[in-house]
Amino acid sequence: MNVLKVSRWTIAAFILPCLIVYVGLVFVPILVSLYSGMLDWNGIGKSTFVGFHNYVKMFTHDSVFWPSVRRTFTLAGFSMLVQVPIALFVAVLITRFVRRPNFLVSSYFLPVILSVAIIGQLWKTIYNPASMGGMINGILTSLGLESWTHSWLTEPKIAIYSIILVSLWQYLGYHILIQFTGIQNIPSEIYEAAKIDGADGFKADRYITLPMVLPILKISIVLSFIGSLQSFDLIMVMTGGGPAHATEVLASHMYNMSFITMKYGYGSAIANVLIAMCLIATVLINALFNRLDKRYS
Amino acid sequence: MSQFASSAGSKPALKVRGRRVSFKTVIAFVFFGILLVTQLYPLLWLLIYSLKTNEEILSGSFFALPAQWQWSNYQGAVEGGNYFRYLGNSLFVTITTMAGVILLSSLAAFAITRFRWKYGQLVMLLFLLGMMIPMQGTLLPLMIIFKNLHILDTHLALILPYMAFQMPIAVFILSGFLRSIPHEIEESAIMDGAGAFRIFRSVILPVSIPPMMTVCILTFINVWNEYILAATFISSEKLKTLPFGVYSFVSQYSVNYGAIGAFLVLAALPVIVVYFLLAEKITKGMVAGAVKG
Amino acid sequence: MTKRKMKWFGMAMTGVLAFSLSACGGGGSGTTNNASGDGGKTEPAANASTDSSKPAENITITFQNIYPDASDPKNQMMKKIVDAYEKEHPNVKIELDSLNTDQQKLKLKTQAASKEVPDITVVNPAAQMQPFVDADLFAPLNDMVEQNGLKDTFQSGILDYYTFDGNLYALPDGNNIGVVYYNKKLMEEGGVKVPTTFEEMLEAVKTLKGKGIQPMVIGEKDSWTGSFLFMNILLRTNGGPGFLKDVLDGKKTFEDPAYVAAIKAFEDLVQAGAFQDGATSFDYNAGENLFKTGKAAMYYMGSWATGGIETAEVSKDGNVGVFQFPTVGGKGNPDEFMLAPGSAFAISKDSEHLQETKDFLNYFMLNFPKEAFEAKGAVGIAQNVDGDFKAAGYSDMAMNVLDLFKKVKGGDLAFDNTMNPGTTQAHLSGTQSLFVEQKDPAEVAKELQAAYEDNK
Repeated sequence: MNVLKVSRWTIAAFILPCLIVYVGLVFVPILVSLYSGMLDWNGIGKSTFVGFHNYVKMFTHDSVFWPSVRRTFTLAGFSMLVQVPIALFVAVLITRFVRRPNFLVSSYFLPVILSVAIIGQLWKTIYNPASMGGMINGILTSLGLESWTHSWLTEPKIAIYSIILVSLWQYLGYHILIQFTGIQNIPSEIYEAAKIDGADGFKADRYITLPMVLPILKISIVLSFIGSLQSFDLIMVMTGGGPAHATEVLASHMYNMSFITMKYGYGSAIANVLIAMCLIATVLINALFNRLDKRYS
Repeated sequence: MSQFASSAGSKPALKVRGRRVSFKTVIAFVFFGILLVTQLYPLLWLLIYSLKTNEEILSGSFFALPAQWQWSNYQGAVEGGNYFRYLGNSLFVTITTMAGVILLSSLAAFAITRFRWKYGQLVMLLFLLGMMIPMQGTLLPLMIIFKNLHILDTHLALILPYMAFQMPIAVFILSGFLRSIPHEIEESAIMDGAGAFRIFRSVILPVSIPPMMTVCILTFINVWNEYILAATFISSEKLKTLPFGVYSFVSQYSVNYGAIGAFLVLAALPVIVVYFLLAEKITKGMVAGAVKG
Repeated sequence: MTKRKMKWFGMAMTGVLAFSLSACGGGGSGTTNNASGDGGKTEPAANASTDSSKPAENITITFQNIYPDASDPKNQMMKKIVDAYEKEHPNVKIELDSLNTDQQKLKLKTQAASKEVPDITVVNPAAQMQPFVDADLFAPLNDMVEQNGLKDTFQSGILDYYTFDGNLYALPDGNNIGVVYYNKKLMEEGGVKVPTTFEEMLEAVKTLKGKGIQPMVIGEKDSWTGSFLFMNILLRTNGGPGFLKDVLDGKKTFEDPAYVAAIKAFEDLVQAGAFQDGATSFDYNAGENLFKTGKAAMYYMGSWATGGIETAEVSKDGNVGVFQFPTVGGKGNPDEFMLAPGSAFAISKDSEHLQETKDFLNYFMLNFPKEAFEAKGAVGIAQNVDGDFKAAGYSDMAMNVLDLFKKVKGGDLAFDNTMNPGTTQAHLSGTQSLFVEQKDPAEVAKELQAAYEDNK
């Protein structure tokens, strides 16, 4: 195989411009954040170095932290185990039944483009009490199922799931787009061959589409995981993390601590934990898919 | 994929417009239709919203039409929200960011996947790490960096971090694509004695258009609505971007919702138009980019 | 050959760099002396040399403010005064950085951390501005406020909330009190009178509720709204102001009977069904809108809401009245109010044009009351207003609110103006939780005390 032989200078010329911008503006701030995670600092005045005290406090004394972690992973779990599989299913259906799929796929993608501010407000009108024209409660009432109506965004046990549903809905099209394009890329000869062997329809999907689409599925899952861990704008718009922290996730907790409660050092520590979690999860997801890959091939 | 559409025809079928359509197809299309309505409804809702009064919007009913169509919301949005100036700034910032991301990331992706050097994987890992970093966490360090670079309150203070935050995913997609195309395509160029830069420019760049489109759309989505960095680093009126316009209707004790709706329609319009124009290229780009990531 | 390629690449890169630099330079050239752009440090010199014939140097003052909405009277007032000043001082350009409140807070905090505070910015009174004062970011305004008799335009005592160790650091745009607005028609339909005690208020709530009328509304997603009402109850159960100060001085704790009684009373109100369903998902505006559209009988809020309510549909034919928050359990004096000294303008200590900035702010504040009066926004400003409100066409309700102002005999500040942010957040979420579940008041008080100790 012919591989380009290049001088060190050429490599530098290719890689450095990108690397300098990236390291300077993404990586350096993270190193700073690692340091400020060890400070007792309100973000404005003097700071005191406290070592790992912030982390100890976070893991043992912060009554909001662990529930936030749990909710963060619930969101990520739903996203990876419900949203991505549904997206894959829709993508398979579209490939199978639709001749000119671009319009459909593009339309499904639209909610991703719209601002979260508007998505949040739309869903609030859906979740409102029936007396205020809320759609879900309105429908339930007219079906005579009044006992099923809820205050969807304010009952502490339900609220987070109401928000998760919106998040799943909003990003469904994103994953449909990724899966759909992945399926399109599978060479049609493989299906032709399988058809001769008697594998058709959903059987072909089980034995050809699924294994072939694995690499893309992995990307989708990694993206949905990282996206879930970092998302908080929807929560800010819909409930602000309330009532009484019942919809707080790690990212919103971090934001509140850094900028509202003015414990910048503590907020940085939460951010660092968030990054560490993303890292570990990405490594785990990679390992899992490598194993799956081996089994299928 | 068209062979599947036709293969479905052999099952028990009914007739639609003279064509035989299987029962399964009908169910599938009903399903597509329902999904289409739920995904497109927000756009329609936003349009109606943008023509209502504050009271109508806040009374929160889901289907209601406005009693009187408030076209003045649009006038307010264009004038009060400085629409055209902000649009110009947003276009400039977004397009420069996209160009920068594409150029720098494709150079880097090329180097990572095509050169023989030992640190390629390490650099790739470094970039992957960046995908996990939440932007809000870097706000304060960035402020200090930009202060020392003397670029606060310039567009550069937005373009640089936007580029930096898009680079990990861009390098990820582009190098995934480059790995998937066989080395043979540049072999003849190497035989001819072409150097790295010529190969990049005349062999790699032309075939990389589809994944670049993907990178473009992802960059666009993430940059177009970005407000936290913009509000923090930009102070001059003449440099502000579209999200400033949206939030300019939010006062301490009042919010001008109708104008926000109108402004959002105006701000989303260019995105939607561009998106549908490019839709085909984008779907292809996604394929190409993601296949062997 | 590689060399030649290098050259091609080098040219391309230079091109990109030049493009982005010129583009940014083009955008930034007008901001010559912008306080937040350090480029200003070199450029004034250049300007001075070219403009040496002119008497005054051209300068730009950055004015960060929270009046972004062009349809808001405050925005119009601000622009009017700024325009007038720029006309009188052609060498001064006022760069308005208008942001919504949340974003301005975030921006100022970030700027403060890197000592990049704009020439003029906005802060909140007392405890909320303490960290900025401690970090020595603001210029004292003691001398400036004496010029042109500016100090005497302010209501007596109001400037104390912005004074630390004898130095005045900010000038407020507002001074409000907590009042209860009520919808006369709905009260009549429900057959209830304006309550004079908290117990009557509870009864009224139950009666209204029984007749299918929404008794009260609140925008509790913004949890300060509930806290503001709660603090008014505390002001009564404590038999007077100063509870939080006593806590800070170590004389009392949050487990004090007065505080527990206030939680109990607040819970009674919630449990009586006073507030709308899903109150914690309504933000301030959505909550207030329910009252403005005539969907609720009573609404407790700061008097800043007057302007919005009097122009709303519900105020037609003088339908809205105001009353003082009543006594609770026979305790407290209704003439003691929740006091809400407003957000205030501060000047950066490191401003490059400190004197010019002070001159401008002096001018701005001198003209503020007159312009506010004309824009019908003079109810609840921090300065004395010369003028006949009635003759100027202010509504009866506005006049009622002004009458209440005359009754004020002291009171308390909001929780976040007295306590540090950590304790405040614990209090806010504790109060918010009362809306969604019934809790033992003693337990809530105990949790807050623990949070207070923790955040000391």
